[in-house]
Amino acid sequence: MAETDAPIDVPRLELETVIGFNGVVPNGLRVHPGKQHIIYPLGCTVVIENISTRKQDFLWGHTNNVSCLTVSPSGRFLASGQVTYMGFKADIIIWDFDAKALYARLVLHKVKIQDLAFSPNDLYLVSLGGQDDSSVVVWDVHSKEAICGHQAQVESAGTTYCLAYSNINDNVFVTGGDGTLRVWELNREDRKIRATDVTMGQLKRVVKCIQMADNFSEPFFFCGTTTGDIIGVNMNTKFFQFLGPEKEKFSLGVETLALIKSGQLLVGAGDGEVALVQFFNKVDKDSKNKKAKICFEKKRSWRDKKTKKQSAVTSIGLRGDGHQFYVGSANSQIYRFNFAEFNADPSPKLNPNQGAVLVKTCHSNDIKDIVFPFGCSELIATAQYQEIRIWDMKNKMELRRQVVPNMTCNSIAITRDGSMVISAWEDGKIRGYGISMSSPTLPERFVQTEAHSKGVTAIAVMTKTSKCNANDLEPGTYIVSGGGEGQVRIWKVEKFYDNKGKDSYKLNLLHTMMEHKGQVSDIKINSADNECVTSSTDGTCIIWDLVKQTRKQIVFSNTLFKAVCYGGYQDCQIITGGTDRKLGYWEVLEGKLIRDLEGAKSGSINAIDISRDGNFVVTGGDEKLLKLWSYNEGAVLFIGIGHSAPITKAKICPRGQTIISVGADGAILIWKYPDVGCQQLQY
Amino acid sequence: MMMQEEATIYNLIPVEEEKKVKPPRYTSKFRDNVKDEYTSDRHDHKTMGYAKVPVDTTDNFLKKRSKEPILPDKLKYTYPDEERKRPPVPKKDDKPLMGLKTTKNFITTNAVQNITSVPRQPQKIFVDTKKGDKHPLDPSGLEPVYTKKKDFGETPKYLTKRKEEMQRAQEEYNAYVAEHFRRGAMRSLTAEEREAILRGLKQNWEEIHDQYQGLSVVTDTAPKKNRKERMEAEMKQLERDIEAIEKHKVIYIAN
Repeated sequence: MAETDAPIDVPRLELETVIGFNGVVPNGLRVHPGKQHIIYPLGCTVVIENISTRKQDFLWGHTNNVSCLTVSPSGRFLASGQVTYMGFKADIIIWDFDAKALYARLVLHKVKIQDLAFSPNDLYLVSLGGQDDSSVVVWDVHSKEAICGHQAQVESAGTTYCLAYSNINDNVFVTGGDGTLRVWELNREDRKIRATDVTMGQLKRVVKCIQMADNFSEPFFFCGTTTGDIIGVNMNTKFFQFLGPEKEKFSLGVETLALIKSGQLLVGAGDGEVALVQFFNKVDKDSKNKKAKICFEKKRSWRDKKTKKQSAVTSIGLRGDGHQFYVGSANSQIYRFNFAEFNADPSPKLNPNQGAVLVKTCHSNDIKDIVFPFGCSELIATAQYQEIRIWDMKNKMELRRQVVPNMTCNSIAITRDGSMVISAWEDGKIRGYGISMSSPTLPERFVQTEAHSKGVTAIAVMTKTSKCNANDLEPGTYIVSGGGEGQVRIWKVEKFYDNKGKDSYKLNLLHTMMEHKGQVSDIKINSADNECVTSSTDGTCIIWDLVKQTRKQIVFSNTLFKAVCYGGYQDCQIITGGTDRKLGYWEVLEGKLIRDLEGAKSGSINAIDISRDGNFVVTGGDEKLLKLWSYNEGAVLFIGIGHSAPITKAKICPRGQTIISVGADGAILIWKYPDVGCQQLQY
Repeated sequence: MMMQEEATIYNLIPVEEEKKVKPPRYTSKFRDNVKDEYTSDRHDHKTMGYAKVPVDTTDNFLKKRSKEPILPDKLKYTYPDEERKRPPVPKKDDKPLMGLKTTKNFITTNAVQNITSVPRQPQKIFVDTKKGDKHPLDPSGLEPVYTKKKDFGETPKYLTKRKEEMQRAQEEYNAYVAEHFRRGAMRSLTAEEREAILRGLKQNWEEIHDQYQGLSVVTDTAPKKNRKERMEAEMKQLERDIEAIEKHKVIYIAN
């Protein structure tokens, strides 16, 4: 117990890689001015990744999700803001990039930091609070103190959404939002900022992003709006100058803008379009005063053709002057563009991708389940809202993806021979998928409708190769599923030929076991394939005999069981975890509690997995810590710190090389499996 | 189609393409020779001709022997053992200094010395082949040297000395501890006292356990729950205490 009381003394697990990117943060993906690193938020951490070596550094310090991120023009500082609960103060953290350490923590805004911007010479940082704060504060970067603050908009205007600093002047910045667009001037001596509203005339727009272009001969700034057009405003006169494009507006609004040295604009739209926009002078013949008018023209346009459902482009990060740029989308994908290829003629034959390369895919929602194929550490299958993905663990790349719109996959299992991926869905269906070598999706093998009435919540698969005795189950593949209503059902996968003579599969319901009163949270089958244990949120775990299809033993506890796992010699014990934070060891034969350990200081235990040799147990839960226990001693050997959201599942890889844990923020963390052999000898 | 039917998830494991190992690049064996022999300024003037260099002034004309190398001055050769060398043996016709002459009869003294001297012990050898190859006997280990040592089979002196020292230290320590105890610095719990405490603890536990067993099955009200929880906590504490006392045979009580 001494270890759990003082987790500081426990050695740490080594974090190998993190697969994750929070694409929803506006302009969250940045390229460092040193051109060697990309920076992106992931939950409450900020990740700095080397482009060439793919080495990641993590900046831990925020207490809640990061809501905005910026890099200083010199590249010396990063700044990130977070969200927090209503009534609390949200932190801004300035990080030292070279030291990868916290430089200053600035606390003044409430609830949410909307946007941040550094002045061109790194002198000041301007922060914009969220809807409930709505104030602008200027901070001195070197003294780490606030200089002055002001209400972001006039009382009658709506929320302010974005912020941009001048490219040349340390004392000028611009804010924009719902019916408000203001140019601010800082007076350092008097510690005051003064706002000038831009004269917009009759025009009413909601500005979502601002791009400065005041280092050109005629100083302008561009604003992207929710109506899908771009506004140009003169910095000197503070007058609205032009609006475009006139036709073909960007659908679902302009989300992000980036200016290239040549004076062209890169536009990221809400429907996933990345466009190159050029503007030029046009003389309108019909108008009486033959004055030149500045017009926009969409020169190039790109969409990801591979994903059917488009998701918004939320950030464009230029590498250097923009010879290469990185695009982050709301569904957590990162693309790398080569500008020369993007600017070239988009002939479908020669240049089908227009210079876009998908460099990173990540989960954008909480990951519900992960599973390794039997005895294989190179692949994992993950389940989330709408999607099943198969990942290559060696290269940390996504291999296959299956999308089912608007449904959540709660649990996933792979048959022993690896030919089928079986998934449990929120709509009460069990879907089985095969593997295709050619297509990037998974071919459907069967769909069992109405498998459970309140959604299928847990699933497990076993394969019988031969009968052990006369009463044993027939050889074949069996599925054990648990539903939201508490039923546990046993199915057999049967192959038949349909009327066209093709191989088809269907599920044959063998038995329904109605004992649980609450949702079945986890199902595990023992190694002999003759019994299974199900945990439920009604506070029971039931051990079922799969051959007789009856209840063998039941375990009661005053908790919501979240995870269960077999352990001990020949699976004679089960380990449970739930909302009471206890790790319980139970005897299978008698259903008696042998041992209960305090598994976590706070929050429930959501995931339990045992190593192949049965000596080590890994647990994870709402306290965001991954713990490696020795099974016999019941002591914490290692602790993994790195998750920024509750851990939903954790698995030890079958070869005992890595531990993989996934969180509610969609991050997949890959930990090095520690050298516990030596550690074990000490006890 | 058939291929797709049989595909399993294991087929997705990326196969690392085996890189063809290239044979090492050919290098000529004359490479070093060529490198040594080649001088880089050999063909410098081949295309452009010689560089235009300013001509020497008329007073700086070419002088006789000015192009010959300047050699260092000649040094007298000395043998390396010059300083160690003894003076030569006197010649036959050299006159002794100041007419001094020894009266020692070298012939008889040599003869007497040799007659009276102890003959030299022959070196012990052994022969291991029929050809008569000789080897020194001493380092061979064939002669029992160590077993013939005087103190063979006895405990070395340093060991007995060390043992005595240890014993003395232990005695001193025991005396010190006894002294310390006598002064009453630390009292050890006697067996009876320990037994009494254990018995008392167990009795307490049993009493609470009895009460606990007699609790009603349904704990529906807050006081009942509190009572049950309190009893459980007490019992757990007692169990811990009993375990602590049982685990240790000798218990010291510090003041």
